[in-house]
Amino acid sequence: MTLKRIATLAAAGLIGASVASTAQAGPDDDSLVIAWGSTGPIEHVDNYVNTNRTGIWFSRMVWDQLIYREPKTFEFKPLLATSWELLNDTTWQFKLRQGVKFHNGEPFDADDVVFTLNWISNPDNGVKVQRNVNWIEKAEKIDQYTVNVHMKRPFPQAFEFLSGPITIYPNEYYAKVGPDGMHKAPVGTGPMKVVSIKTAEEYVFERNEDYTWGSPKGEAKVAKIIVREIADVQTQIAELLAGGIDITADITADHVDQIGGVPGFVALQAGTMRTGYLGFDAANRSGHEPINKLKVRQAMAHAIDRASLVKNLIRGDAGVIHTPCFPTQFGCDVDAAVKYEFDPEKAKALLAEAGYPDGFEIEFYTFRPADWAEAIMGDLAKVGIKATLTKMPYFALRDKQRNEGTTPMFLMDWGSYSMNDMSAITSHFFKKGPDDFALDDEVAAWLEEGDTSSDPAVRKAAYSKAIKKITGEVYWLPMFNHVRNYAYRDGLVFIPYQDEIPRFWQYGWAK
Amino acid sequence: MLAYTLKRTVVAFLILVVVSALTFSLSHLSADPALTIGGEQASDEDIEAIRKLYGFDRPVYEQYFSWLGRALAGDFGESYHYKQPVVEMISERIGRTMLLGTLAILFALIVSIPLGTLAAMRPNSLLDRFALLIAVFGQALPTFWFALMMIIVLGVWWRWLPISGHDQWLNYVMPTIALGYYATPALMRLTRAGMIEVLGSDYIRTARAKGLPPFVVLFKHALRNAIIPVVALAAVWFGFMLGGSIVIETIFNLKGIGWLSYDALLRSDLPVVQAIVLIFASFYVVLTLAADLLNAYLDPRISVR
Amino acid sequence: MTDTTTSSPLGLRTQQTAEEILEPSPFSKLRKRIFKNYSFLFGAVVLIFIIAMALLAPVFEALGWIHDPYDQELARRLQNPFWHEKKVDEAHLLGTDKVGRDYLSRLIYGSQISLLIGFSTMLISGFIGTVLGVTAGYFGGRVDMVVNFIINTRLAMPVFLVAMAAVVAFGASLTVVILVLGLFLWDRFAVVMRSITQQARDLDYVKAARALGCSTPHIIVREIFPNVLSSLTVVATVEMANAILLEAALSFLGFGVQAPTPSWGLMLNEGREYMFFSAWMLALPGACLFMLVLAINMFGDGLRDVTLERER
Repeated sequence: MTLKRIATLAAAGLIGASVASTAQAGPDDDSLVIAWGSTGPIEHVDNYVNTNRTGIWFSRMVWDQLIYREPKTFEFKPLLATSWELLNDTTWQFKLRQGVKFHNGEPFDADDVVFTLNWISNPDNGVKVQRNVNWIEKAEKIDQYTVNVHMKRPFPQAFEFLSGPITIYPNEYYAKVGPDGMHKAPVGTGPMKVVSIKTAEEYVFERNEDYTWGSPKGEAKVAKIIVREIADVQTQIAELLAGGIDITADITADHVDQIGGVPGFVALQAGTMRTGYLGFDAANRSGHEPINKLKVRQAMAHAIDRASLVKNLIRGDAGVIHTPCFPTQFGCDVDAAVKYEFDPEKAKALLAEAGYPDGFEIEFYTFRPADWAEAIMGDLAKVGIKATLTKMPYFALRDKQRNEGTTPMFLMDWGSYSMNDMSAITSHFFKKGPDDFALDDEVAAWLEEGDTSSDPAVRKAAYSKAIKKITGEVYWLPMFNHVRNYAYRDGLVFIPYQDEIPRFWQYGWAK
Repeated sequence: MLAYTLKRTVVAFLILVVVSALTFSLSHLSADPALTIGGEQASDEDIEAIRKLYGFDRPVYEQYFSWLGRALAGDFGESYHYKQPVVEMISERIGRTMLLGTLAILFALIVSIPLGTLAAMRPNSLLDRFALLIAVFGQALPTFWFALMMIIVLGVWWRWLPISGHDQWLNYVMPTIALGYYATPALMRLTRAGMIEVLGSDYIRTARAKGLPPFVVLFKHALRNAIIPVVALAAVWFGFMLGGSIVIETIFNLKGIGWLSYDALLRSDLPVVQAIVLIFASFYVVLTLAADLLNAYLDPRISVR
Repeated sequence: MTDTTTSSPLGLRTQQTAEEILEPSPFSKLRKRIFKNYSFLFGAVVLIFIIAMALLAPVFEALGWIHDPYDQELARRLQNPFWHEKKVDEAHLLGTDKVGRDYLSRLIYGSQISLLIGFSTMLISGFIGTVLGVTAGYFGGRVDMVVNFIINTRLAMPVFLVAMAAVVAFGASLTVVILVLGLFLWDRFAVVMRSITQQARDLDYVKAARALGCSTPHIIVREIFPNVLSSLTVVATVEMANAILLEAALSFLGFGVQAPTPSWGLMLNEGREYMFFSAWMLALPGACLFMLVLAINMFGDGLRDVTLERER
């Protein structure tokens, strides 16, 4: 068989594939079959135990928060709480919604909220991401539908957490079964009820018929959702083309072009707030001589053609980012950032000034697709910097960075846990925590000021100073925001969201 | 015979100890388990506390012996990542890998024994050349590449077979072929060589001379003798196949222990990797031990030595 | 070769390995008759062609026939090959990859990596295996028992899984992959060398040399080694093919050599992203790999027929 014939067959086969129909998935039985898992399966579906992005997707289907953050305008709206009031600097009072039921029939009231908040804020209970909960002092029941939440200190980002990672659990059930019971049979108030959990393999949900109290999240559009954990993206695509699944969110930009061209399928790109950056070992833990010189880092910033990278590889509505945070996030002042335009000549001049007219060699690390890193390496090579790439699994790379510190340059990214506040990213990386490779006291102090003040103006001013110094010193070269690429079967009504959380229950089949 | 059995068993056990010690020290060189356990946002103090709690601050040999002690009692610890007992995670999935391995080796035997026999009956025939071609090509085809090609053609273009999963028996068809075909060249060569040797032997000539029908001679006398080493080799290949299942299970999303070991390696989930290496090694050791003992039983001269 | 069975603790496998590889079974004699060693010829010609490609690649590049395999430009990424209806760029016969590098150049340069990995692994594993095997075979007794134990321990290790663990531990790079494979793939060398040395030890002229009081190293190097050389070459081809396939599988899962090295295994890994729509990106490196391994195997098979025939 000649290659041409293979190619023709491929085209014919694909068209044939789209015409043939299978009843495994799709509109026929009012179900939605999802494949996800290219970064590994959810280890434990209890929202306070897992750390996966897909764990967040799961949790939004099953549980609700006190507050709803409108994903397009970032406005806060009532969800399980109907209204709220700041009693003093460190106390919020919430009025709760009446008539809401958990999936097991347990009615929702103040006891559930008090139990959940007190349970998660106790460090002994081992909530995996302590940052999400360690600002809570305690919760206190005022009456059956009123709760006071006490904070350890003035905490301006509280609503980001109360509308995001903090979901409300049923007190009686959770007290009885604990995290492992919650993993085996999750119970929440959300739009989908869990039917079965097969760890790391498959989750089956059905519509929560009681979800009729006018939640801003909306009622489920399909009767049944099945999620299959499939690690290999190519296998996901094969299943999509063969009719085994209805939607995947793990594909690449090139897949979007390709699958989008197949009749019967739709593919699209949706920008997210996940921010990619090129990190440098400015604090010189790796002992790599050139990289702790400011002029060298500035040269690199000028050498890399971020616009071309975005236009050719990322595409969609991604853009070059100049801030060490995502521009919609609170405090993320784009004007405060020092911007570096693409200018190889200037880069060469800066390198010469720094004493490296012929460039130098550097080790480069990433866990993302190698082509992004290769594009950066190509640009650096043009000014004489020879980078050698090591692509590692995420955990192995983080370990190398934190424990050995032997990573002079790395391409990484951060999704901010979908929180629209700059503290979720910049403060994580520049407050001298384990992921801080700049170790700048001044920046850390400004960020602390911004994180703890309850005056928005004071916060903004402090954050701006931090942004200016981080970009001025090129501790990071912010690169671009990531794009989520979706492909699904034609006929699905799909709505992409910028916070990288698909609301699967909102997607139904066009009648 | 008893002494021989005992000696072989001790050697087999020692092999397992050495294999596990080697992998233990190797895997403890890789990513710091404390970080995996602590998760993304763990502070340095958390990590330090976890190291103490799990004993990662002790020398590797000390950790190994305490692991070995517990492993001998059937306790392989808890997965760092899934927080489940490793024994539970493996027992949930090992059945699929065993099924896949068994099907693959059966597939290999079903292809190679008839082909090898036919080739031996008519050496130099078209069929013999065809068999040879399969053997030579089969050895050069990368398994994963073959698997992907099957997915494209049988799964996506023609939609004959389901691509991923493990719930229906059809799910096993493509993985079985992908994994099984790699064993066919070796098995076929052995069948063919054995058959040619047996067919040329005196007792077959005698049987023929007695006027027994060719069919009876071939199956009752010749194949029965030629097949014993083939089955023995197949048993050993079964052990190797479990190792080959890593790639195949990952491609076909067939969640057996091959996939589990790949997933665990990506996360430095050492207790899982450790246990699976030991299981794969045990299979090999037990199967070869069984084959050895069988050999010794059939040929008592061996155990006397 | 029967004595291999009796002296190995897990003898069966050992025996079969040796037989599988070395016994000029009726099968291969027959094949010789069928093909009159065309298989050897074919293997040799293809192998020489691939080696020539690998060696001449820089010359081709200097002549301007092919591009620099590292020269990338995002603007010309994913160009189609010449047979495609939507062919755009005449400068790239087989199109370009996802960062705009010439696919043909990378295929040609890829032969260097596969051959390098095959050869280096074979040298390392050949050295380890030969030393172990010859030692065990020559001295016998306790030495033999110890070596046998080492061989069987190695055979019990699931190579692929342990190789992946080693790559995670030491970081993926060409050197690490070669070292890991070299340190794992010596078992066949050891098994075969051991049994051949055992036979050679009892040959008359070796006995004579011993009786004359020649030193042990002298006997091993001068008398035994020439005897095992042809078998060694045969095993070497088998292991070389094996190493090339294993590297491809490791690279395919992302545990092998690092981008942007033009390795066929890595190209398969990268091309997989396009397997449903631009199947050539998977088919071409796969075909190259297949041809190389096929050629090595046929070359080895032919070599066995030729050399072992002469010896008998």
